[in-house]
Formats: sequence, C-alpha cells, structure tokens
Amino acid sequence: MRISIDRMKYNQEGVFVGINNELRLHLAGMGLRAGKKIKMITREPLKGPVVIQVDHASISLGIGIADKLIVEVDE
Amino acid sequence: MKVLLMGHPNVGKSVIFNRLTGANVVSSNYPGTTVDYTQGYMRVFDRDIEIMDVPGTFSLDAKDKAEEVAVKMLMENPDAKIICVIDTSKLERGLYLALEIIERGFPLVLALNMWDVALDKNIVIDLQKLEVILGIPVVPTVAISGEGISTLVEKLIDVEPVDILHISNTMKLSCLMTSPGCAGCKGC
Amino acid sequence: MHLTPDERWELIEEIARRTLRFGNYKHTLKDAIGDFTVKPATGIPFAIAILFVFWSVFTSFAALMTDGFMIKIFDNHWLPWLQQNFPGGPGNWFYALMVDVGQRQGSAIVASESCFDSFGVLTSGLFLPIGVVLPAIMIFYLMLSLLEDIGYMPRLAVLIDTFLHKIGLHGYAIIPTILSLGCNVPGVEATRILETKKQRFMMMTLLAMFIPCGAQIGIMQKVIPQYIGFIMLYLFVGYFLYGFIMNKILPGKTPEILMDVPAYQKPLVKNISKKMWMRTAGFLREGVPFVMLGVLIINVLYIFGIIEFMATAMAPVFEGWFGVPRETAGPLIAALLRKDLAIAQLGAIEMTKYQMISAVVLVTIYFPCIATFVMMLKESGRAFLGSLLALMIVVFTYGGLLHLIWKLMGVA
Repeated sequence: MRISIDRMKYNQEGVFVGINNELRLHLAGMGLRAGKKIKMITREPLKGPVVIQVDHASISLGIGIADKLIVEVDE
Repeated sequence: MKVLLMGHPNVGKSVIFNRLTGANVVSSNYPGTTVDYTQGYMRVFDRDIEIMDVPGTFSLDAKDKAEEVAVKMLMENPDAKIICVIDTSKLERGLYLALEIIERGFPLVLALNMWDVALDKNIVIDLQKLEVILGIPVVPTVAISGEGISTLVEKLIDVEPVDILHISNTMKLSCLMTSPGCAGCKGC
Repeated sequence: MHLTPDERWELIEEIARRTLRFGNYKHTLKDAIGDFTVKPATGIPFAIAILFVFWSVFTSFAALMTDGFMIKIFDNHWLPWLQQNFPGGPGNWFYALMVDVGQRQGSAIVASESCFDSFGVLTSGLFLPIGVVLPAIMIFYLMLSLLEDIGYMPRLAVLIDTFLHKIGLHGYAIIPTILSLGCNVPGVEATRILETKKQRFMMMTLLAMFIPCGAQIGIMQKVIPQYIGFIMLYLFVGYFLYGFIMNKILPGKTPEILMDVPAYQKPLVKNISKKMWMRTAGFLREGVPFVMLGVLIINVLYIFGIIEFMATAMAPVFEGWFGVPRETAGPLIAALLRKDLAIAQLGAIEMTKYQMISAVVLVTIYFPCIATFVMMLKESGRAFLGSLLALMIVVFTYGGLLHLIWKLMGVA
C-alpha cells in the first residue's frame, strides 16, 4: 500500500518510493532515495514536523514536505 | 596549493581544521555554525599551505546561504584540493557528497571521521577495496583524538583527480585484485 | 561528467554492497534518550524543564557573583580608592567624567556610594560590563555551549517547529533566537541558516526588536528583577504577534523544515571551555570599551545640556504616547551604543513601576545597538531599510499598546 510519510505510524517501516519536485536533489544528498527503507520515529502534534530514520541518520521533515513523500508500506 | 575542507554539517570538520592548522575554530553540534569560511595555514614539508574550512553541506545543490557559500567557494577555487570529511557511520550519504565533488573534477581525499564510533557500532568497512574502487586515498580519522590527521596530510600531497567513469567502470569488474598475489578468483 | 542523483545512488549502493558490512547493532541508551527527547509526549515537558533549569541557573549564578563578590570589590574598594586618589577630586570636570558625577542632595552634591550611581568612565564604565554583565554572559555561554555540544539544539528545533512554522519561520529559527539572548550580533549572523530572503528578513527584524541580549538581561536582573518576568513575556508575545503579522503581509515563500538530527554526543570539556572563552572574550573585547565610551558620551551630552534639550523636545511623544518620563531620552541615546548601559541609567530615574516596565520595553525594541545595526546592514543590504520601517511601526504600536494597557488598568 502506498501512503505519504506523514501518515505512517510510530515505528512503522516502509520503502521510499519518491518525490517529484525541486527538493528531490536535496533529499538525495541527505540519503533519501527511491528504494530506501525508512522508519517513522515521531510526529509532532498540531501539524508539526515528522522525524524519520534513513540508514543510520535521523532526518526531520516539515509536514508540507512529508505529505509529498510517498512510501510503500505493508498493510 | 589551496585546500578546501568540506563535508556534511556536524561531522567534526572544524575539529579537523583546528588539528591541521593549530587554530581555534569554534565548532558546534548543529549545522550553520560555520556560516562563513575560516581560513588557516598548515605546515607541510616546510611549506605553508592555505586551507579553508567550508560550511557544512549535504550536496552541491544549495538549499540555504551557508550551503551557497560552500558551492561558491568550490567554484572560485577550481585548482583546490579537497579534504572531504564524512561520518563513517553514514558512509553512503557521505559518499554522495564526495562523488559530487569528484564529478566536478576536484582531487579529493576522503576522511572517514568518527571511525571509533563506527567500530563501536560494529560497522565494518573494507578500506582497501574502497580505495581501489574510488581511486582516491581513504583515511580513517578520529578528529577529537587526532588519529589519522597526519596521514590525511601525507595523502593530500599527491592526490590526483579521478574520472567518475573510471569509478563506475571499476565497479563493473568482478574482481578488484585488492590483495597482492590475487589471481582473480572473482570472490571479492 | 556528471551523474544524475539516481545514477549516483545506484553507484553508491553498489560500492556499499562491496565494502560495507553492518554488524549487530544494539539500541543504545543514547538512542533511547534521542527518541525520548524528540517525541512530543516526553520531549515537550523535557524541553520546558531544560529551559527552566537554564533560566534558574543563569539568574541565580549571575546574582550570586554580582551581589556576593563583584559589588564588594567595586563599591568597597575600587570606588573609594578612586574617590580618594584620582586627581582633581569633586568639582573637577575630568574627575566627574571619569570617577563620580556625584549625587544631588538638596542643593549640595555629595559623593556617590556605589559604582551604579557614580556614572564615571572608570567606575560605572567598568562595573557594569565586568561586575554585572560578565558573570551573566559567562554562565549563559557555558550552558549554551553545553547544550550545543551534546546535540540538544536540533531536537529543540524540531519540537518548536510547530509554533514557529505558524509565523512563517521554522524550527531552526530557535538557533538565532537563542544565540541572540546571548548577543544579538551572532544571532543576526546566524539568520543565514534560514533559506529564504523573507525568513531572514523577518528573523533579523524580530531579533533586533524583541530579543534582549545577555548583557541587557544581566543588568535587568540587577536593577529590576521583580519585573523581568513580565517584560520577557511581553517581548516574546511581541515576537510571535509581529512575526505572525509580517508573515501575512510580506511576499515570499515559507519553506518547510528539512534537517538532519544528529545523534547525541559526549561533550568535550576542552571544546566547551574554549567556546565559552572565545565568546566571553568577544564580549570583553567589544563590549567593555563600548560601555566605557558610552558612559563618556552620555556624560558629555549631559554636561552640554543636549540630553535635556532632546528630553524637552521629545516630551510629548515620551509622555503622551509611550507614557514614560521625558528623562528616558538619555537612556535611549545610550541604548544606541549599549542596551545594558541604557537599562542601568533607567534604574537611576525616578518613575513608577509601570513606567519602568514601559521604558525597559521601549529601550529593547526601539532600535538595535550599534554593533547589531552594523551586522544587520552587512547581512541584509538594502532590505535593511524595510527592517527600519518595520521597526518604527512596531515601536509606536507595541510601545503605545503597553501605555494603553496601563491606562485601561488605571495605573498610567
């Protein structure tokens, strides 16, 4: 099933599918690329940012970015 | 000769800079502390070499002003040699930046900093193989204790630019012949 | 030759497959703390606790050092010694400038009893920066450096992003903000970590207006400790209020936060002490001479009656609009050089509790000190004019609003 990152549950894992805008290059530099396994660490309340884990790094993403990033997760 | 010290934010770049130059650059554990570059000199074989501590950046597609400074410095010093400092535990992400710099034709030495932390995490890296594949010197360092810093300088002297095509071609070889006397068993 | 990001990653994955092995990785305590402090349910109370501890240590240490130690040296030894030995003595203009302008008692002028009142270049000019501000600055930078080196700041940025995003900034704006609580100059410089022109402009303007520096807080702590809470609250509310308004009015994009959250690190004593020392040395180098110069200029302006002239000329604005005594003109001029000096001067002016609060707020928001001014000019270029305009508007509306509040409360 494909969902956006901001809809992942705590500790849920998924495989990053992609993003299609100018941030793609920058995200690639931070290790976020298609086919990569990511894990949801936390979500801040009131439409705050999310924190995800990629490789051995934690990255924080604003909700406006996170809702455009698609991941493939198990049901 | 000019040397640019590049790398991700928060990987101990400023500490390495201090080690190399004996300077007193303040480092902080968040990106953006070094928004301007810092300049210094290091002494190598009786020669003073200019070295610049570049603001941390994740890629050469600048997102903020600190990163713009980094890209601009690279453009303004086309004959510079690069020391690319990366966090060993995040090798892949570090290689991304290193490759970007290599693609632009800069000679580069790769410093795998926080080597000790990676060891603690049971991360094993085949240095020899990595050097053969990339065609550049790869030096494990521990900036806060000074380990590997002198090797870094030694390797820097003779480093040459490599072609990215060479790297991708090397990857296509099934055997890298990294150990002496290897006859090409294709096991590597 | 250049690769596309996908080609590059493909190559890296292949390199990693051949050279990189991940052994068994056990979740360490460090990771657990990392999660604990960034998850909202635990992280937000933790952040509040940290900031509370920060503030408590800051104020109690500064008070302890100043009252228990510095005041004794300056008031019991340094001031009497100068009063005895400085050439000229009372009545001499040079003595008045350098040591003691004296206190008016009826028609007579008597010697001052403290370095706070004497207002000479060598007495107040040294006592304010070294006796009062230095301890405050040192403890502030010690704690800030500790938080930085442990790696707490990015987590604070994530937690606060929710709120700062609502006013068009993002969590990272907490870094320039906290730096500004030490000194506005590095705070303004650090606005570079924000991505867009709009964000940088907003941040710079908000810092210059609403964030009092460590030196100023140090003096406030000494002169008006009982009002400091309300004043800080009023300033923080202003920060969010005008941030919100600017965000609505100004064109330009508000990017989302996108940042690395580094793992916690064991702080190195050497790095922290070095950092604290360099920042403190920056204050000694630039702050102390400026305070001394400020005392000198203010004294000269008083002697030539210039401040009195301005006070009279500006009286309608001061008394009518802002509701502060006209004598506030002197401190406001001093504030162009140093805000800490201005607050110290306010302490010597006769006024009500509410006027004092208004005056301190006015000193804080009305114009950045010269050092911050120069840094803003350097960082923003032409946009600085816009910053000045915003500043004017804010001073008159927010300063006037406070007066209005007092009027409604019936205390003005």
